[in-house]
Amino acid sequence: MSAEDEVSLLVIVVDVNPIWWGQQANREPQFTLSKCLDAVMVMGNSHLVMTRTNKLAIIASHCQESHFLYPCKLWKSGDGHGDENASTSGDGKYELLSVANDFIAEEIKNLMSRTEVKGNQTDTLLAGSLAKALCCILSTKMLTGQEMKSRILVVKAAEDCALQYMNFMNVIFAAQKQSILIDACVLDSDSGLLQQACDITGGLYLKIPQKIALAQYLLWVFLPDSDQRSQLVLPPPVHVDYRAACFCHRNLIEIGYVCSVCLSIFCNFSPICTTCETAFKIPLPQVVKSKKKKLKPSTHTCK
Amino acid sequence: MDEEPERAKRWEGGYERTWEILKEDESGSLKATVEEILFQAKRKRVFESHGQVRLGMMRHLYVVIDTSRTMEDQDLKPNRLTSTLKLVEYFVEEYFDQNPISQVGIITTKNKRAEKLTDLAGNPKKHIDALKKAKDSTCGGEPSLYNSLSLAMQTLKHMPGHSSREVLIIFSSLTTCDPANIYELVKTLKALKIRVSVIGLSAEVRVCTVLTRETGGSYHVILDESHFRELLMFHVKPPPATSSSECSLIRMGFPQHTIASISDQDAKPSFSQAHLDSTSGGPGLSMGGYFCPQCQAKYTELPVECKVCGLTLVSAPHLARSFHHLFPLEAFQESPLLLHHTERFCEACQGELKDKSVFTCPSCNSVFCVECDLFIHDTLHCCPSCIHSRSAP
Repeated sequence: MSAEDEVSLLVIVVDVNPIWWGQQANREPQFTLSKCLDAVMVMGNSHLVMTRTNKLAIIASHCQESHFLYPCKLWKSGDGHGDENASTSGDGKYELLSVANDFIAEEIKNLMSRTEVKGNQTDTLLAGSLAKALCCILSTKMLTGQEMKSRILVVKAAEDCALQYMNFMNVIFAAQKQSILIDACVLDSDSGLLQQACDITGGLYLKIPQKIALAQYLLWVFLPDSDQRSQLVLPPPVHVDYRAACFCHRNLIEIGYVCSVCLSIFCNFSPICTTCETAFKIPLPQVVKSKKKKLKPSTHTCK
Repeated sequence: MDEEPERAKRWEGGYERTWEILKEDESGSLKATVEEILFQAKRKRVFESHGQVRLGMMRHLYVVIDTSRTMEDQDLKPNRLTSTLKLVEYFVEEYFDQNPISQVGIITTKNKRAEKLTDLAGNPKKHIDALKKAKDSTCGGEPSLYNSLSLAMQTLKHMPGHSSREVLIIFSSLTTCDPANIYELVKTLKALKIRVSVIGLSAEVRVCTVLTRETGGSYHVILDESHFRELLMFHVKPPPATSSSECSLIRMGFPQHTIASISDQDAKPSFSQAHLDSTSGGPGLSMGGYFCPQCQAKYTELPVECKVCGLTLVSAPHLARSFHHLFPLEAFQESPLLLHHTERFCEACQGELKDKSVFTCPSCNSVFCVECDLFIHDTLHCCPSCIHSRSAP
């Protein structure tokens, strides 16, 4: 009863920052965005095939927006072109998978061609995509009404955006409260934010040594769900640096001063908090009042 | 006793004709009205935005639970005591979720005496274990407001000035047995800036009204169990700081977490300082942990106050948990669905917009459905579309 009815939802968030992928195409022509999406599609198909009741969602995280590659809005509302394409899989592939793959390919092509790239930002805005993923999980949970285990897999390419710290932490705490795991598969540079996310929510963090083998890593490490992971030998947890960065120099500090009003962290004591501009009470050392002895007039000497 | 315009009591007002809310439609069914009531219940969370008011983020709270004879009453199922203890457990969990650097202590009062169940501590496990054990205790005698308040005051008066000192009393009896004049104690509490709030389980008691009014707390009497839960949750959010609380820079340590495995050559097992006094069994030896940056004492969990050197140890995510109180999210504007022809899908969850009203974020004008709006304001604390822009919040 229980094993078959349990619904497991996997949301894959793919970083499609065009600037990073463009530079990547110059660096390593054998691993491009289309290869990466092929690997992601393999992962998505495998997840759908594992159990009949598994569900999938794929979000592409672009520079200024996040777009759902699957499930597609038009398909759900029924006025898309889904009906004609549905029966075109001639090679005996399970229809759900071929329809899904076609939609993903179509959507990513539309997304990359229609979005204008402004500036040369090489960092990704992951917090927004994760927030949408959480809302999507929640609404699916409301619709099915059953026990649902969900997790989010992030495939990250470009670097972190430091401005997103607070929003990212909000998203991580919301995921932890809803018991949603966040796994991270990092292609290029290590990401401190994702390491914290995986540590706090209980997911896996992996930096891939060889990008070409992305599909293998995805299937080996990230396909099993949380119950099965305890029985497998998986990459060990990374050491996460939880030290805080001071607001004045952005250095990592071990002992700091925290303002009691706005919780900003400083490395040195200062009389005014720069964030909330409150003046602090400086703790003076306690003066011990000595007892005044009564002076006899004869012993009073004047100098 | 200072004069204050007393609120009109409920029996002094006119009749409330609650049956008139239910209206039948043409076919005689109540479906539309029931849906409306459910929709209002979902939106009942009154979003009180404090705006630019300073909040007391570091809180020292004592919860006083009345375990007198009246708690054996069965109007809350299975009896008042069990129901209260369960709700206080949930309260403690939520409290540490929203206020990670604060502390809670629990006091019980019966037989005209008060005793401490747990000391002020920042670790939720200890409190939850103590509450679970207290379910088997017997109720008897009369509670004593004076004794419980003076017990709480003994510890709270030594707390530093920048933290908010609070007491929350869950009071079920209609009487209290005090050894001295309680109004004098109320004056002392007010001088020490301790804020006392009361949740009554039976009826309104005048001494509680005076107590809460003088110290600046709130007094409510519950209607049923869900109202009780709501009133408790109201105290989870940090209250506005009193004008007299001092602002200071608190020295804190941010220890590194060392995970050592057995195959590591240099790893040495060591005892955690927090387990030295505990009698809960277990070897207590562990490989990794958090080492205080000042004195290198080891602890297994954060936040904690170092027993050796007195430094408060926290980790950066603990402080980050409280940031959403400082930058609260604005309430979204509610508008009927009919006005929005162009959008048919909620921006956040991509579901179809089916409810009769939708919510729009004032800064980015994206449209959300009811459940996403509730989730965004309760748990997420940031608008999914606004955080796509690059400007720092």
